[in-house]
Amino acid sequence: MNRPRGSLAAGLALGGLILALGLVAPFLYPADPYALHPAQALQAPSLAFPLGTDELGRDNLALVLAGGLATLVVALPAAALAFAAGLAYGLLAGLAPPWADKILMRLLDVVLALPSLIVLLFFAALVPLNNTSLILLLGLISWPGLARLVRNETRAQRGRDFIFAAEQAGAGRLYLARAHLLRVIAPVLVVNGTFMVGDAIFALSALSFLGLGVQPPQVSWGSLLETALNIIALDPWWLILPPGLLVFGSLLAASLTGQGLLRRWGEAR
Amino acid sequence: MSPVLEIRNLSVALPRGGAGLVKVLEDFSLAIAPGEMLGLVGESGSGKTIAALSIMRLLPPGAALSGEIRLGGQNLAQASEAEMRRVRGKRIGMVFQNPLAALNPSRSVAAQIAEAWRVHEGGSARAARARALDLLGEVGIPNPAARLDDYPHQFSGGMRQRVMIAMALACAPQLLIADEPSTGLDPLVAAQIMALITRLRRERDMAVLFVTHDLSVVRDHADSIHVLYAGRSAEWGGARDFFAQPRHPYSEALLGAVPRLGVARLRTIPGALPEPEARPPGCRFAPRCAYVRPDCTATDPPPLRAGGTHAACLYPLSAAPPAEPAPDLPAGERRYLPLLQARALGVRYPGHAAPALQGVSLELGRGECLGIVGASGSGKSTLGRAILQMQPHTGQVTLNGQDVTALRGAALRGWRRRLQVVFQDPRESMNPRMRVGEIIAEPLVLQGQTARAANAARVAELLNNVGLSAEMASRFPATLSGGQAQRVAIARALAAQPELIVLDEPTSALDVSTQAMLLNLLKALGRRLGLSYILISHDFAVVSYMADRIAVLREGQVVETGPVARLISAPRDAYTAALVGAARR
Repeated sequence: MNRPRGSLAAGLALGGLILALGLVAPFLYPADPYALHPAQALQAPSLAFPLGTDELGRDNLALVLAGGLATLVVALPAAALAFAAGLAYGLLAGLAPPWADKILMRLLDVVLALPSLIVLLFFAALVPLNNTSLILLLGLISWPGLARLVRNETRAQRGRDFIFAAEQAGAGRLYLARAHLLRVIAPVLVVNGTFMVGDAIFALSALSFLGLGVQPPQVSWGSLLETALNIIALDPWWLILPPGLLVFGSLLAASLTGQGLLRRWGEAR
Repeated sequence: MSPVLEIRNLSVALPRGGAGLVKVLEDFSLAIAPGEMLGLVGESGSGKTIAALSIMRLLPPGAALSGEIRLGGQNLAQASEAEMRRVRGKRIGMVFQNPLAALNPSRSVAAQIAEAWRVHEGGSARAARARALDLLGEVGIPNPAARLDDYPHQFSGGMRQRVMIAMALACAPQLLIADEPSTGLDPLVAAQIMALITRLRRERDMAVLFVTHDLSVVRDHADSIHVLYAGRSAEWGGARDFFAQPRHPYSEALLGAVPRLGVARLRTIPGALPEPEARPPGCRFAPRCAYVRPDCTATDPPPLRAGGTHAACLYPLSAAPPAEPAPDLPAGERRYLPLLQARALGVRYPGHAAPALQGVSLELGRGECLGIVGASGSGKSTLGRAILQMQPHTGQVTLNGQDVTALRGAALRGWRRRLQVVFQDPRESMNPRMRVGEIIAEPLVLQGQTARAANAARVAELLNNVGLSAEMASRFPATLSGGQAQRVAIARALAAQPELIVLDEPTSALDVSTQAMLLNLLKALGRRLGLSYILISHDFAVVSYMADRIAVLREGQVVETGPVARLISAPRDAYTAALVGAARR
């Protein structure tokens, strides 16, 4: 069985590359993304502009790198927030007495029943958009899936004899969560946490594409795609492919890493 | 009479991850005549199941098989897959341990019984149904016509096993392979299944290969016995001669490890079965043998005829077995101090008409072991959980005169550690991601003792108490054998310094020799540390070995309570008498 290892390695390599491009490269590449060169607008890639220029004559490589930074500084904290919220809610419901669990799960059903993109659009139209509000929006919209998963895993593990044995030794709920449940469900958490990072990048790109994400003059992968699409009649492939491939690559990296971990840990559970 | 099945020099090697082929069965020979039942006995890892699967040619892919397996005139070892398909189900029937897993839950029993017959004989649906009806009647299903269209889940465990047997008999096979068919059933039901197999083989003149880990199961039923140890035959011959005087030290040790009524001390076998990769030279039992001599490890012992049986031993046993050591403590000499009292315990599960537990009252003295015996579904595990306050119940439980039923929250949590519990499945009772040391230290940590060095020292001491080395502390549960894991579970229970340990079927997932070791360990610990036990089991013999008094539970109620000796000699309740009868094998 070489495939799991292969997919895990490929996912980690791709993910590492994208993180490096988004978080490190902007500080290494000297060009100013917002400097205008009107004389050189819409130029195809050349030595002076490795990824060409946009319709305002800005260096597209600098824009893509800056867009990556803007995307990741929002998407990563948003994923972390969603992860923490989902984990806390799931553990709470899983360890609560049955009646409280029922209430918490019905509440979760209500949240899950709302289509998240619509809710996102609704709130994005209501609040002023900046990095903090975007992190909160994205984070608070994407936790319910993990919450449900953690709750179900917790419930399933709770019936096992080692939980009874710990309770018989005097364990309370907090101890059970910390010492036993987190440890047993760790593989599930890591795998799903990986997926959540990919999902957050995608969701932010979708929002930005609709003009509701990272706000101008800042650019992001989503907004770069949107501006490029407005002038698609001119066939500016150098403006469309890089951000598009990076969004796709993020999702692919998260998926490959998650699947690889899932297969590696699937048997150990 | 020519044998139905004759195996000559069968050797099987299985692929073991990366290590190439590993021999799991060597030079195995046996013969079974029509109407004969042969008990193939061995503990897990002995190769007995591999032997049974080889006959059906159902070994895992990559297995290497050599030797002869003759069924009638045909050598199954050389048969093609197409030829084997005509043998399986038609000339050889097979019955497994877990009928619920072997039966299709979505098809009626009539359809499943008739299936093999229609595949092999190609009869009409009507004829197949008539055949299924006959077979259900033959295996003793009451009112078979009304049950033809029932599904497996509508039958009880014992009845399901009867359905499995009917399926195996559908094509009137010459040979029936029964792999632990009565294991996991309640003793009374298991006895009925054994009687059924014995009746069927006599009526049909059918050979039976009965695979089991428990010698006592085949004691009254088998004509001949074949004992396997670590992939090799240890002893084989007529059952009468074998049980009168086993010649191989392993057979003798195995017999001595089975709890029986009136036996004061179980024999244990030191050490553990060697892994297939690390088998010792010479006689494989030598490292654990009580009679070992220097040359035992030098040569492979040839089979010697000794008395009525053959034993692969250089020095087969001859005279009467060594006398049973006297019990080391006269019972009933201790002063009786009440520890635990349960009054009118009742449990009702939602959605069930009958209560799981009703009006159960018990008393337990300090240092006493109270046995709770009952069939599955009798409520014995529910009773254990109610006493532990892990199960909401009515009625009252007092420990040292303190009413614990009223405890809630932190007070209940603080009280819990005084009662500990050891479960049936030791691996399920440990977090698979914790190391043994951490598992045992858990009760210490929960009591606020977090000093690492002190805890490590205490863990080492506890491991030593249960007969394990201190190095075990760094292992994960998955790397432990069943017996080792159960010792770790006991060490964890001891770490809490409890006043009472509830043992819920602590040995029913273990081999007999491991069970003997564990029961002796629990007995010794109880005496040394002044522990009180509640031992829950379906096996009357196990409970009678451990307990001072026994409570017999049936359908959620106590039908009889009394000292072990009195229950055995003069049971007052008919159900108790039946249990004692089944245990008196």
